[in-house]
Amino acid sequence: MAQDRFTGVGLGLRRPHLEEIARMEDHGVPFWETCPENVVGDGGRFHRLSCQILDRDPVLTHGLTMSVGGYDAWDEDYLRDLGTFLVRTSTPWHSEHLCFTSVDSNCLHELLPLPFTREAVRHTIARAKSLQARLPVPLLLENITYYAELGAAEMDEADFITAVLEGADTGWLLDINNVYVNALNFNFDPKEWLSRMPLDRVTQLHIAGHKTFGNLTIDTHGAEVIDPVIDLMQWTLAKLGRPVPVLLERDNHIPDLDALLTERTRLQSAYDQVLTTMEVRHA
Amino acid sequence: MPEGRTLRLQQAMASLVLDADEAALEADLGRVARQHDLSPADQQVFRAQTEAFLTYRELARMSLIEPLETMFPVLKALLETTDQWEACIQAFLDARVIRSGHYRDIAPAFLGWLAATGWGQGRWPFILELAHAELLEVLVARFPDTDPPKGLHDEPAVEDSLVLEAATQIVSYNHAVHRTTEQAPIPASSPTHLLAYRTADGPAKLLELTPATAVLLVKAQSRSLREAATDLNLTDLEPTLNLLRELRHDGAIAGFQTHT
Repeated sequence: MAQDRFTGVGLGLRRPHLEEIARMEDHGVPFWETCPENVVGDGGRFHRLSCQILDRDPVLTHGLTMSVGGYDAWDEDYLRDLGTFLVRTSTPWHSEHLCFTSVDSNCLHELLPLPFTREAVRHTIARAKSLQARLPVPLLLENITYYAELGAAEMDEADFITAVLEGADTGWLLDINNVYVNALNFNFDPKEWLSRMPLDRVTQLHIAGHKTFGNLTIDTHGAEVIDPVIDLMQWTLAKLGRPVPVLLERDNHIPDLDALLTERTRLQSAYDQVLTTMEVRHA
Repeated sequence: MPEGRTLRLQQAMASLVLDADEAALEADLGRVARQHDLSPADQQVFRAQTEAFLTYRELARMSLIEPLETMFPVLKALLETTDQWEACIQAFLDARVIRSGHYRDIAPAFLGWLAATGWGQGRWPFILELAHAELLEVLVARFPDTDPPKGLHDEPAVEDSLVLEAATQIVSYNHAVHRTTEQAPIPASSPTHLLAYRTADGPAKLLELTPATAVLLVKAQSRSLREAATDLNLTDLEPTLNLLRELRHDGAIAGFQTHT
């Protein structure tokens, strides 16, 4: 299966590294993740470098602004181009965030939380199904960090995510750092939270750094992953009992490629450690 | 709760992010929920999480404004001399014209809004030209790649017309906006003609043109070089052909074709 190509810890493909990565044949990164919004319809030198890498190496795709829980009509032209891009990259799935990003045709370029209500569940399931019908590969939905509940909640976040994933019958891109950050901000135990979730739907993991400002911890993607988040990744992999791919996200304060490759290697070791334990247990 | 509450909650969030009156928001965040006909319970939830909602406002506005600060540093410097930068940004956000999900499209949306509304042009008649010039190189550098028409040749002849690379632009301004800096953001009033193109290596390049060369480059796309030169009373075509060879070599011109 195509999915078998995707194990280990991959990296987000970012503009400051394109030149170097395009030149490297043996970078040791098992796969890259790219945001189609940053590639589709673009042109010029960096675009050519991106395409060169995407045509050469295994790639997963991760969307930013589809506004799965929003109300704006789909941009059918973009969806057509996106479909072509997904086929070109041979990605086995395409992920999007479980959030809204645009309102009344205005894109806010921020991952905004959906209300934890039955109406929002129904609406988001219908939207996710409608989006899935327009994509050439399976859709995954990713849990986001949220800093406020949008309106009076009728359920908690775990029940909301579960209801949408089950109702839309989609896979789950489980962002470990987002669970950890939400646990800090809303004071819950991330392992208990994960134990309640439909882990059989997890197809990929995300991991990243965060930063605390006053009373609030923000998912900045701007720092190294801290040990408790790596522990949570290991705990989750062990709980899953299967090797799903993990993607290290870094979008701010992007270090040079060597530093990022070193961090990836550290995470890969943590990943391999869990896999070895799993193999011993199976043997 | 009736259907439609989810949409109204999302509209309230958009207002919270984009609307101008931060002091009023801070004083009573429930107001934004009330404006969108949300229930007292929803209003209370907004009030109870004021710090977190204001964080959303800060994060989203930072995300929308950062590309403008990056792409228009001279315009920002100009407007900051009269404390008008934030007013300009707020007027842009109030217009609700960021339609695209591509982050790279925020700056062009701002330029389009400046052109459509004429914001600031009474006081700074060059403002649109300045913003355009600041974005020009980026637009050229990132222009989608397209294949040039087939059958072009590399060497220009006097009976040929020329074909520019798709990314190449010839622009004319009434002010020397390309010479402004953050320290000296007010341009001289001086007709200016620029050729913006990207080299084979990728970076965009600006070349200042004489008025005659600018006209020739425009005319010679639809007429032969000889006809375009005759219109401009150019008798010796050799310097023109040399320039065209150089521009083709450098990546501004895709090639030449016999004019029919």
